[in-house]
Amino acid sequence: MNANVYDERNLPRPLPVGLVGYRTGGWWGMLAFIGTEAAVFAYLLFSYFYLQSQHAQQWPPSGLPPLRYSIPITVCLLVSVGTMWWAEYSVRIGRRAMLFVALVITALLGVAYVVLEFLDWQIEPFLVNAGAYSSLFYSLTALHVLHAIIGIFILIAMFLWSLLGYITPQRHFAVRIAAMYWYFLVLVWIAIFITLYMLPYIGPG
Amino acid sequence: MAANPTFRTPVVAPATPELREKLENMWSDHPGLIGWFTTVDHKKIGKRYLATAFIFLLVGGLEALGMRLQLAQPNEHLLPPFLYNEFFSMHGMTMIFLYALPILSGFSNWVWPLILGTRDMAFPRLNMFTYWTFLLAGIFLYIGFWNGQGTDVGWFNYAPLTERQFNPGWNIDIYSLGMIFLGVSTTAGAINFIATAFRTRAPGMSISRIPIMIWGTLVSNIGILFAVPAVSLAFALLWFDRQFGTHFYEPTLGGRPLLWQHLFWIFGHPWVYAIVLPAMSIVSQCLPVYCRRPLVANSAVILATILTMVLGFGVWVHHMFTTGLPVIAVGFFAAASFIIVIPSAVSVFAWTATIWTGRPVFTTAFKFFAAEIVLFVIGGVSGFMTAAVPVDWQLHGTYFVVAHIHFVLIGINVFPVIGGIYHWYPKMTGRMMSEKLGWWNFWLMFVGFLVGFFPMHISGLLGMPRRIYTYPAGLGWGDVNLVTTIGAFIFAFGVLLFVINVIRSRFAGAKAPANPWDADSLEWATESPPPSYNFAVIPRVGSIHPLWEGRLDDRGGRTTIGEGAVLDHEHEIPGTTVLDAEPDVILKQPHPTPIPLITALLIGGVFVGMLLTMWWVVLGCMCALVLDIFFWLWPRPETGWAERGSWDKEQERT
Repeated sequence: MNANVYDERNLPRPLPVGLVGYRTGGWWGMLAFIGTEAAVFAYLLFSYFYLQSQHAQQWPPSGLPPLRYSIPITVCLLVSVGTMWWAEYSVRIGRRAMLFVALVITALLGVAYVVLEFLDWQIEPFLVNAGAYSSLFYSLTALHVLHAIIGIFILIAMFLWSLLGYITPQRHFAVRIAAMYWYFLVLVWIAIFITLYMLPYIGPG
Repeated sequence: MAANPTFRTPVVAPATPELREKLENMWSDHPGLIGWFTTVDHKKIGKRYLATAFIFLLVGGLEALGMRLQLAQPNEHLLPPFLYNEFFSMHGMTMIFLYALPILSGFSNWVWPLILGTRDMAFPRLNMFTYWTFLLAGIFLYIGFWNGQGTDVGWFNYAPLTERQFNPGWNIDIYSLGMIFLGVSTTAGAINFIATAFRTRAPGMSISRIPIMIWGTLVSNIGILFAVPAVSLAFALLWFDRQFGTHFYEPTLGGRPLLWQHLFWIFGHPWVYAIVLPAMSIVSQCLPVYCRRPLVANSAVILATILTMVLGFGVWVHHMFTTGLPVIAVGFFAAASFIIVIPSAVSVFAWTATIWTGRPVFTTAFKFFAAEIVLFVIGGVSGFMTAAVPVDWQLHGTYFVVAHIHFVLIGINVFPVIGGIYHWYPKMTGRMMSEKLGWWNFWLMFVGFLVGFFPMHISGLLGMPRRIYTYPAGLGWGDVNLVTTIGAFIFAFGVLLFVINVIRSRFAGAKAPANPWDADSLEWATESPPPSYNFAVIPRVGSIHPLWEGRLDDRGGRTTIGEGAVLDHEHEIPGTTVLDAEPDVILKQPHPTPIPLITALLIGGVFVGMLLTMWWVVLGCMCALVLDIFFWLWPRPETGWAERGSWDKEQERT
């Protein structure tokens, strides 16, 4: 094993300087952050299923959840996975214009999600203090919207920094870390969508 | 500032006085107060953590002494009942959240980069941020205490007593928001430790050469990542209940008080391991030094540490045996609680065998570590007893449980911490602590602890419930309680001697050489106290005991310390691969900056705004936070980014 700064000929070998490559400190940081945030959502979903299991009456108490906005939200977010991946790919192969377009579309899809979620809250027949179900519903969706707003800010930063030329094909780790966060966000939405909007239709009513 | 080249071949050379001077100028902080607020030096942050957490220990200890005076005799009225409630609640909260983990973060912050053979943590600014948020959250949690608004229904804060209609003051709002605030600090710290362990070890410190101290803290911090969200969420939902009228814990509209207990203990039990595993790893790291031999069964202890943390996530219901859960669930968690004894005991056998087969040197530090083994066994056995459901039904909520938690937390946390200070003090300050005072310090604490806390088992078996304000005469509890109070004061006097020893030795202690204990790990390879840059040249690690090579019967490699990679362009440390620790990259570390402090203050502003329900303050601080974080993460060459406009330059080159 060559566990030192020397190469095979016992000479010091060149090392990349600074944030080059993929598995930077930020990659580890984001991985750990995603782990802990995933745990927050997991515990909140645990609370949802726990309170549902303890609930004697109809669940959800106000009848089946409306799908008018939640299905478009899901479509938006699933498409944004593709555009985020496109941004990653563009920066890796050095296509700057494509990177800009992909980042802007991803961010706009994120904004569309936030707007649609607000509209969804308007058509819900209950307020947050109606009961256990409404408390869970608004906490889950609002917590996810909060994370999406953070994700949109991250995308704005990526756009700005690539516009200013800080992000380069060699030092593109930031875009990939941003993408990790975005994929996580969509994955969590899938879990929320299935729990809040799908299971009431297929589960024991 | 010069742009970063994509590749550079590090100069490998011996450490020279010129190099040391250059590094000292490069790594030292700004002078004066500005330096104090902007430093990102892990050694300073570590010492601040230790000092702050220890002050919280003293505050929590004074609260305990107040309680002990109140309980010394039947029918006493020294403290009014509401103040007694606040005392025991604040005592538990302080010791468990503001002392037990932060003190270990202090050790880890201070010692990790030194033991890993590097110059700083992976995220120095985040490190500073965790300290400031810890301090501010600690102050936040205490703001109500002075006017009767401290938390007052016990540190585990059971719903529905914590709902607005039963507890209308600010007490629980402060506790809820403060705990979420503190969770930010704890989580950020955990992320930093994980990235540091995986990314910044000295070249050659492959996974089989990582010192055991690192393992304990790393495993505990991975646990924290998944445990703390449960309690932050639990408190957030409680605050929603109180503030917005949601119904998570309030049973009339579908909420369940038991949800609180589940979420709290899903966090609570892993937390117990999070605050003892790093302390146990301090013992595993330091005890062998005084036994003049490596730790027995090093790998088994590491594996047991990991297994304990994993199993620790599956035993939370043993705090809830009396809540009427289904028998099958109770049986499962009782079995898991029995099983966890096995990995926990591995360390005990390894330590005992290390002492047995070694040549112990009876320093103060050794005494503290050896006492830890004794107290761990006693606390472990009482825990094992209460894992049996019928026994727990009898003992739940009595002083027996109070005895158990104190044997575990004082035995496995406070004793290793004090021993660890005796061990590392010479390295931290360049002075030795007094062994003579240490002898009195140890024996007063050890005897005081046993006199104070062992009788609690008896009062528990006699049926004395925990948290009662006073008790009538004639129940047979008076004498045991008097003994407990006397013991508590002897123990407190021992702690006082420790404080005196720490302060006195700072000025009057003998000058410490680089390696006064003839220890084996890398922090002892540099001067006492270490220079701001830790190591002039980066060591190349060849074995798990870098400073004991040659005298052990090991066929491992040899560590190079005096000659290595120089890395003297700005703040540089080597980044290495996860398993083999091969050099991967030259990392650029940030310079001193006030941004972490400003960020912590803004987050503090958000929580103060939420407490006062001044939503414009919350919104204003959040907007400022967004800008602040943009500025924090702004690409700068000194932190390893390309210069502005580098895309075009790179395209031209290719």
